Order: sequence, then structure tokens, then C-alpha cells
Amino acid sequence: MLYGYPVDRNAGEAVEELPDKETEFVSAKTFLQTASTETGANLYDHLAELLDKILAERPQNVIDLFEDYSRKVKEQRFKPSTDHLEDIYVSPGAYELADRMLRALRPLPNKPPSTLDPDDLETSDMSKNNLLEMLFYLEQAGLGLPRHEMAYVMLSMRRLANTQPIASIKFWGKILGQHNNYLVVETELTEEEYTKRNSVEVDETVVIVEDFEEAQEVRGEDDKRPVLPPLPQSQYEEPKEPAIELSGVGLNKKTYFVCTGVGADWVELPDVIPKQIRVARQIYKSFSGDLDKGIYTYPEFPGTERNYLRAQIARISAGTRVAPLGYYTFGSEELGEGAEEEELEEEEPGGVNKTTYKINPRYDPPALKDLLDSSMSFWVHTEPYILPQGRTSWWNPGPEEDEAAEDEQLGEEEEEEDKKPVKYEAETGPALLTPLSEDASLETTNAWSPRTTSDVFDMYPLAMIRSNLWPGGYALCTLTKTFYNIYVGVGLKYMQSNFSPHPLPGPMQEYLLGPEILEVPDPSGKDEQDWKEAHAPKPEEVPVGEEEVEGEQEEVDEEEEEEDD
Amino acid sequence: MNVNYISDCLQSIGHYGKIISVEQQLILQNSLLVLQNENHFRNVYFWGQILGEVKDYYVAYGYVTDALYGKIYYYSNDGMNWGLLPKPTKNGLLLTPLCTTRFQGDAALIIDILIGVDEPNIGEKLKAPQIRKLKEEDRLASLIHIISNEAAVIPRGAKIRRPDGVIVDNLSFEGLACLEAREVYSYLHDRIPTQKFNTNLLTRDDYNYATDFMDPLDIDKPEGNWIVDIPIGDSIVLLRSLFWPGLVFYHFLNTHKHGVVYIGYGKKCIDVPFMLSPFT
Repeated sequence: MLYGYPVDRNAGEAVEELPDKETEFVSAKTFLQTASTETGANLYDHLAELLDKILAERPQNVIDLFEDYSRKVKEQRFKPSTDHLEDIYVSPGAYELADRMLRALRPLPNKPPSTLDPDDLETSDMSKNNLLEMLFYLEQAGLGLPRHEMAYVMLSMRRLANTQPIASIKFWGKILGQHNNYLVVETELTEEEYTKRNSVEVDETVVIVEDFEEAQEVRGEDDKRPVLPPLPQSQYEEPKEPAIELSGVGLNKKTYFVCTGVGADWVELPDVIPKQIRVARQIYKSFSGDLDKGIYTYPEFPGTERNYLRAQIARISAGTRVAPLGYYTFGSEELGEGAEEEELEEEEPGGVNKTTYKINPRYDPPALKDLLDSSMSFWVHTEPYILPQGRTSWWNPGPEEDEAAEDEQLGEEEEEEDKKPVKYEAETGPALLTPLSEDASLETTNAWSPRTTSDVFDMYPLAMIRSNLWPGGYALCTLTKTFYNIYVGVGLKYMQSNFSPHPLPGPMQEYLLGPEILEVPDPSGKDEQDWKEAHAPKPEEVPVGEEEVEGEQEEVDEEEEEEDD
Repeated sequence: MNVNYISDCLQSIGHYGKIISVEQQLILQNSLLVLQNENHFRNVYFWGQILGEVKDYYVAYGYVTDALYGKIYYYSNDGMNWGLLPKPTKNGLLLTPLCTTRFQGDAALIIDILIGVDEPNIGEKLKAPQIRKLKEEDRLASLIHIISNEAAVIPRGAKIRRPDGVIVDNLSFEGLACLEAREVYSYLHDRIPTQKFNTNLLTRDDYNYATDFMDPLDIDKPEGNWIVDIPIGDSIVLLRSLFWPGLVFYHFLNTHKHGVVYIGYGKKCIDVPFMLSPFT
């Protein structure tokens, strides 16, 4: 049946004879069944398998996918049909999410009944924290986080408020990092907690400087080595640090909790110190998503990512937390509140500004047209301005120290350091509840861009403003009596031109300026001649042996000195 | 982002905070389908939004036959009336990176750009500082060209080259698995390949002539500028580029759904080397 050589059957035989169908079929089938010398597979089985798969799945336009199907069938062949691992149950990735969500959905454990009077009890008010309602408004404005994330934050905020001494709680936003993102909530702790924290003394770290001079002095008497000049010492004096604002005051008025995603624990961020704010202004670093990661920059950042995150949150808050005009009032008419404010003012002489405000009960939302006005005078800042010093109220570095080594505007233009005591000019900034129209603008752009959320649904418009200085900062005012602030972004400030790192300071003087290290030009031949002439013994006088000797001696001395130079 | 997925944008690009607002979703979904019909596009995509100071730009594109070479871009101020975006001009491509001001939202605006004497990217030596003019429409066209070229992403295998050379969407693409999705080289630049075809093929073991003709993402420098993020639940992977804040790529794992959206100010962040940690 099979020929090892080509045979033209029609050649010698009768023309009428039809080819043998059976033979042709078997020949073709045999050819198709020939196993590949490389893989051992054959086309016949492959086609059968392929057609079987296609008929079973019946995809559309199968002819366009034919090659891909063929490849998939081949790939399947490599998988062993008896895969023992297949029997092991692998939980789907969504299981972890479901587990965490379910934990959040469970009701809270009942708190033990407090012995305090219910009116005195500071408990956080969750009624304003309906994040799903917030999400509804955010979605109108083109913002939002996935629904399950918002629901999770809302549920875990409730849990957090139940376990921590929190007086008020609010969702702040989200900061994006490389490996993880941070969800941030802003809280105010109870007075009791703040007092407890402030009473704990903070140990100041003392830097021990090794005394090189002492080490040099300890030498044996018979040491014949030449006496070296003392090693140079760093003359740099750390500028005096402004005092840290206490918990519950100024930048540390609020306490922030972060978590890295659905199901993660809330971690409290430490209080911010002025230096962190100042350095954070000079660096440009993205977040990694790990709170304990070091921040390697110049100038050196004091702390880890935890502190950097806190500093950036403070800066962002100061820049982007706004409210419609009239929502908050200083409320000086109220008796109890007013007294407290006065006390506060006395404590902080630099801060003339009031630091507390309360919700205006007679608030009437400004008209939409006003809120969208590009002058931005109908929106006010609700967080205090951060001074260049890194505090909200000015701290006077002057009186205690007479040596003026302080250069408080580090990073800003450096002033010439004077040796005499400097009279410090108090840094001032805009007061609380100052309209946004006072904001500094970028070179050519305004600090804020107002937008209405609806051109089509113009019966239910919302006013939305977008921060141009902090991309990701938004404020939203509804026509009912609420407004929302949210920040979602990378946590870095907008720069019109690009970031350029802070230059290193110039090298310091190693040794004190003196004749030993001064470079003087060698005397020329003429100078030497002049000198010799000037010092030559006068010919009129009768040479006296002693004088001559003295003169010569002098000459030699002088020459030696010259050589030394 | 394919026009059909616009309505679930909260669950996809919403992870990074910016979405298409509810009203715009309605408008875009309908107006883009009309645009598709008018131009006989096979597929139409929402490209993104450039946030201007006064008005924003919406950008969309579609293709008739070739999913890579045949993209045609449209732009609009309100999402309803679309105008053809001009092809990027040489002048525009040169000047756009030097222009640091915000978009205003007026396509006819002429921007003055001051070029310093020591500007290295201009290609010629200038004797004195020069002011050149650029129309905002041309700037937009160039910017979109630059962003698409640098940061448009597809998962590997989502587009294939047919034997006749035409690039089409792979209908049998089943999505990346979770393990694959963690690696940057599982994603390809959705641009005309800049490397030789065999370079792209030979850098991987499991190469495939039909899918690996495009440049993988891991050729981008510096390492770490692409951030791969798989939120808990393993159902979606998100990519963003540090160079283009505002750009989000999403891909629902094990499905064919994927897309890129840019919602931002149109400014490249060239400070990436400072932002990354020196010790990784």
C-alpha cells in the first residue's frame, strides 16, 4: 500500500481508472499521524483535540483565533493529567479581603458603662462620618475611592473611636506610596489624654563629641615626635531649635492615624517637631509605604517615613483644609469658650491669632456663584498657617541666648550671620479663617481652581475647588449645610519648575587664620637687596666688634624667619 | 479605557482617587458611541482628561483597523462636542516639554515660551534668549503624543500582530494571572516599538512572535518608576508611573478588562531620581 518512492499511477494504466479513495485516505491519514521528530506529537491528534475544544467552547469568529487556540491546546499537553497538587485547595485571593471585611462588619463589643456623667464624657460623634454619603458627593465631583474601601474606613473608624481616647474623628484622605498606600484619619484626642501625654518628660538626646585635644595632651614626656598643631574642630553650632509644640496645641492639635489598606491596623503617627516641617519643605521624596523606612536626603530628615508622613500631612492640612465662609466662627460671644481662648493667647505671645473656632449655628451656605468666584474670597482656611520656623505660633529664640547662631529661615534665603545679638522679628502669617484669596499663587497660576460639578444637572450643582499647590487636595460644598475636604495624592507639593536639591554649605575654615597658614610671596631679588642695604652697617661708625656681631646675628634671624614663611 | 467600562471607573481607577464624575460618565459614554458611529471606528476609548485652569480637556481615540498604528485622537472641552486633534508638529514636540504653565482650556490660546540660551533640548545653539509661540491646541496634541508614547500600557498578550502585519485586540486574551501581574515585564508599552523585534523577543524565555513585538515596561529607567500595586483581594492590578502623576493603568486579573486613563495637569515629573530611595 505504501510506496517508499513516488508512483505515478496514471502513467501506464488506463485513464478511466479512478484513484482508490480508500488508499488516498489512508495515505493522508498516515502522513498526518507521523510523529514529529522533535516533540513526538502528531498533527492528526492535535487537530482532533483542537476541533473538539472549539466545538465544545464555540467561540465567535473562531477563524481569527485559530492560531491562538492551537497554541493553547499545545500548552495544555505539557501539563500532566495527574496533577497531585490540583487536589490541594488554594483559597482564592479574594478570601483575604472577604475575611477582613467580615471582621469589620461585626458589631462592636459593648463598652463597660462609664462612671462619669454622660454629659462630661467626650465621645466621638460618628454621625458626620457617613462616608458613603460623602462618596456620593465625591463621585459627582469626579473623585472617590472604591466603595468597599470607603465602607471599610467607615467601619474601622467606628472601631477606632471605640478603642482609643478620641474626642472627634474625621476621614482625611489617602496618600499613595510605592508599595502601600496610606489611608489617613484625623482625630482629636480627649483633653485628658493630651494632659497625660504632655506631663511625660521627653528625654533630649545628647550628642557626645569626642575631645580630640585631650587625647593629644596625653603623651609621654620623652616623646620626641614634633608637637602637631591641634586637630581642627568643627565650629558649626546647631541652630537653636524652636520648641516643640505640645500635644493638642498648634500643629499637634490633631492626631493622625494611618492604615495601609483594607484590613490593616490603624497606626498612630507621632507628633511633629518644627525641624521636620522645615526639612520636609526642602526635600522631594515619594512615600514607600513602609512607616519605618529611613528617609535618606540632604538636608538630613530627622526621623523615619512615619515622621515624614506626619510632616507632610501637617503641611497639606495647612494648605488645603478649607471651609465655606461663615461655616465656622470664632464664637467670642460664648462665655466659657472665650475664657479658654484668652488663656491660650497668653501662653503664646507670638500667636496673636485665635486658635479655636466653632460651628456657626446660623450658617447659611453662600450662593453657588460666590463659591465659584475665582477670587476665592468665600472659602476660608480652617487650619493655622505654618510659619517658616515650623510652628504655627512664633517662638522667640532671642532673649535667652546672646550669641546669635540661630538662623531660623533655614532653606529660605540664608541671611548673613551677624556676630552681635540679633533682634528677632516675629514671623507672622495669615490668621485662621482667612479667605483663600490671600493665598500665595504660583508664578502664573492661581492657587485654586473652582469648578461646578454639573453643567447638565444644573438643578443640583455642587461647588468644588481644586488645589493647584497640592495636587489632590479638594474641597466640596453642597447646597445643604455640609462641606467636605479630601486629599488623595502622592503627598508632594506642585512645583512650577523642577526640584533642585539644597546645595551643600561651603567648607568651614579648618584652622584659625594666622601667620602659620598664611601664604606670602617670596621676596624678589630686589627686595632682598633693598633689605640688605637698609640693614647694612653704617660705614661712618668705627666698627665695634660686638655691634657687628649683633647686626649679623639679626640678619641671620631675619633670613631664617623669611625661610620659615 | 474602553468606552464600555467608563461606568465602573470607581472600582478600577478609583483606587487612586480621581474618577470620571457621574455626569461625565453619562455624557462620555453616549457621545463617544456617537463618535464611534460617525467615524466607523471598530473601538473607541476614553484617553483621559487634562485639567486646565479655567476649563478641562477631554481626550478620546478610536481606530478603524489597526489598533496601534491607526489611532485617531479627538478632544473636547465639555465631553459632548468632539474635534479632531491635530497631528503633533515638530515645533510642538520640541516646545511642549519646555512649557511649564498650566493649560488654560482655550485651544486657540497662543502661549509664549521663553527659551534660555543654555537650553540643551532645543537642538541648536542660541545666541540670545528667545521667545517662541505655541498654540495650546498644538501643545495638547504634542502632550498627548508624548504621554501615550511614554506611559500607555497594555498587559502582555492583549494585542497581537496578525500574520498580515495588522495589530488587533486579542479576542482570546484571558488576562494575567496574579503571579505574572506582579512583574513589570508582563506589561508592554502601547506604542510603536522602539527596539528591534528580536530584542523584545529574546529578552524573555516564553516569547511569542505574535505578542512580544512591543517594548516591555522594564526597559524604562530608573528602575522603580513604575509602581505595580495589587490591592488586597487579588482581583485588580494597578500601575502608575512616577513620571506622569495622574496616569493609572488598571487590569482586572484573569479577565480581558484593562485600560489606561490619564487625569492630570499634563506636567511630567522629572524629579523621579530624587523621589526614589537610594537604597532599595
